[in-house]
Amino acid sequence: MKTFAIAIIIALAALAADAASAQAPLSPDDVRAIERGKEVYKVKANCQFCHKWDASGDQGYGGNASSLRKTFLNEEQFAEVVRCGRPGTGMPYHDQFAYTDKRCYNITSVELGRIMPPIGEPLQRRDIEAVVKYLFTKAVGRGASTYEECVEFWGQDTRLCEPMKK
Amino acid sequence: MRTISAALLTSLLVATALTPVGADDMTHQRALSVAKEPHNWLLHHGNYEGWRFSSLKDINTDTVKNLRPVFTVALGGYESGGRYKHGNLQATPIVENGMMYVTDGWGSVYAIDVSNGRKASIKWKFDPGTDRAWAGDVACCGVNNRGVALWKDKVISVSLDGRLFSLDKATGEMVWERKVADPAVAETLTLAPLVIRDIAIVGVAGGEYGIRGWIDGTDLNTGKQVWRTYTIPGPGEPGHETWKDGKERYKHGGGSVWVTATYDPETDTFYQGIGNAGPDWDPEYRPGDNKWAASVLALDPTTGKIKWGYQYTPNDPYDYDEVSEHPIINARVSGENRKLVVHVARNGFYYALDRSSGEFILGKQYVDELNWTTGLDPATGRPLNYNPNTDVQEYRPGSHGSRAKPKSDRLCPSHYGGKNWQPGAYNPELNLLFVASIEGCNEVETVEQKDFVSQGGTVKPRERFAGGAGRPTERLYGSLKALDPTTGETVGRLRLTYPNYSGVLATAGNLVFLGQYDGSFSAHDAKTLQEVWSFNVGTGINAPPITYSVDGKQYVAVLVGSRQPQNLWNYAPELRHTSTASMLYVFGLQ
Repeated sequence: MKTFAIAIIIALAALAADAASAQAPLSPDDVRAIERGKEVYKVKANCQFCHKWDASGDQGYGGNASSLRKTFLNEEQFAEVVRCGRPGTGMPYHDQFAYTDKRCYNITSVELGRIMPPIGEPLQRRDIEAVVKYLFTKAVGRGASTYEECVEFWGQDTRLCEPMKK
Repeated sequence: MRTISAALLTSLLVATALTPVGADDMTHQRALSVAKEPHNWLLHHGNYEGWRFSSLKDINTDTVKNLRPVFTVALGGYESGGRYKHGNLQATPIVENGMMYVTDGWGSVYAIDVSNGRKASIKWKFDPGTDRAWAGDVACCGVNNRGVALWKDKVISVSLDGRLFSLDKATGEMVWERKVADPAVAETLTLAPLVIRDIAIVGVAGGEYGIRGWIDGTDLNTGKQVWRTYTIPGPGEPGHETWKDGKERYKHGGGSVWVTATYDPETDTFYQGIGNAGPDWDPEYRPGDNKWAASVLALDPTTGKIKWGYQYTPNDPYDYDEVSEHPIINARVSGENRKLVVHVARNGFYYALDRSSGEFILGKQYVDELNWTTGLDPATGRPLNYNPNTDVQEYRPGSHGSRAKPKSDRLCPSHYGGKNWQPGAYNPELNLLFVASIEGCNEVETVEQKDFVSQGGTVKPRERFAGGAGRPTERLYGSLKALDPTTGETVGRLRLTYPNYSGVLATAGNLVFLGQYDGSFSAHDAKTLQEVWSFNVGTGINAPPITYSVDGKQYVAVLVGSRQPQNLWNYAPELRHTSTASMLYVFGLQ
């Protein structure tokens, strides 16, 4: 009886938590993770250098980077690309031990040869989870970026955002 | 009455003796005679002729073994901004009577008292408050500033977000600022100003973002513009006919200017290297030779009027930007006294031109490997694979991408050059040019460039406008080379572990100094190029060294602090975890 009651309480609590996450503001932990993910995107891994501040993609010295706002990958697949890069393109890998064993696409650097992706800034699992959370909250599937997003990203009303003012 | 007058006269004399009016002012006459002040480093390239040579020789091939760091100074400027994780140091220090003036990448100016040979102190700092996100987002290749100029009792500097400043040399107080370049259309300023008489000459960076390049003169007395000359000619100007698209694409034709020019006082002409055409890697977008991209222009400093131009790589499909310095040398070539302006080009060739007419005299390959053309026409200096009957140059088939076949084969030298912006040096006693080069190859890829919105396309101002990208495919390395400027022969060569981005200093002590990506700072015997001394500063070096003396003691100074771009780590993984810093290192004999 007692066990049953506890199980119900846990189940109810879980339901309540689900409902909360669907409607209520993000938890402090989520907010912190998103903030950290932004820092990884903006500075630590410098993803914005190729993908642009709003993740809309760009061309440049690093190659031609895709729009992450329009990605069709789910979070898990996306995290895999951050960890492993994309062989044959300019998208770097960020797990510094990728291709030392078969953790990425079940293949090693020797087998990849010339299509080995470039080395990126080494990121820990926590960084990768954070940057994925950040992008899926702030960019993926959101259409064209806005003036408000620009000011939020840069933390100030830099003149960079001005042309986006409606 | 007479007594009063005498007292007044005496006090005036005393005052004059104590504050000799203009004794330290940087005048035109003084700029022309820097050789009389070997203890100072007064001009960006050492002298107007662009030699980066010092007659100081206490530090020489015999004594250099006793060279040690004597003090260091931590600077700022490595803050992130725009698309950059940190700023870099690329400035050439200016030294005048024990005071040194340097900049960081965001354009802060530091006046450093180096008169005490054991420690230095920052006397003042001027932070222009650069809008880092705005400017940093349209800087193609890093957060850079290459240094200041002196004029009268002022320090003249620029910031990445397009402003030119006149600062009080004694206090750092800003006298005026002028907005010269506009980051709203992706224009930035990174070069050290060139001052000729009372005019400060600067040029615009932004060749990967659809700018139309220009060179600009400011009257330093008023802070007002006196002239602006576009490097990409408009309708009615000579060279405009080399833009054959018929769609006014010259308006975004590139031709940026980001390295300080050289100056010939005899003919009152300055020689400005001009950057790549825009878009970099889609030459089909811009049929024609695309003057004056990838060229040198000879100009009048008072009016900005173009006297002549010479183009190195017409319809350049490689990004062979020719911004770097054009030294002025008088020499005997084939038994004849010639007045030369020379250039160690990013496209892999050395060129000597007649500096009064722009006539090509000779050219020769100096990089280890060059495959985009089979050589230069001995009469004109045109690449041998240049085809006058086509508007879009192929050069050697496969050496660059095209819309039909976007990926190139192996391109040598890589699109970085050859010699990029990093300055060389000329030792007049040995009649040798010293070049620290980038060696090796890569690949480039074409992506069809879309038009700007104003021309019916989709590209907005500040968006990338490069028509493709470069791609690293192998490990690049570097060389220190000695060239005979009268023949173009490479008479000495030394392989360096890393492609060079610091440039060199030559001294009468028969030494050549250079820095490398891995932090090594080394001195080389000018005759053998062998390394005779080195010290590792523990972070990358991307700035040119200089030398000066205080109280008769010679010093060598260099700014250090950079972390190399990701495209380099791929093939030099040992540099992957290098950290940046922002430091001045000064060395002296112990």
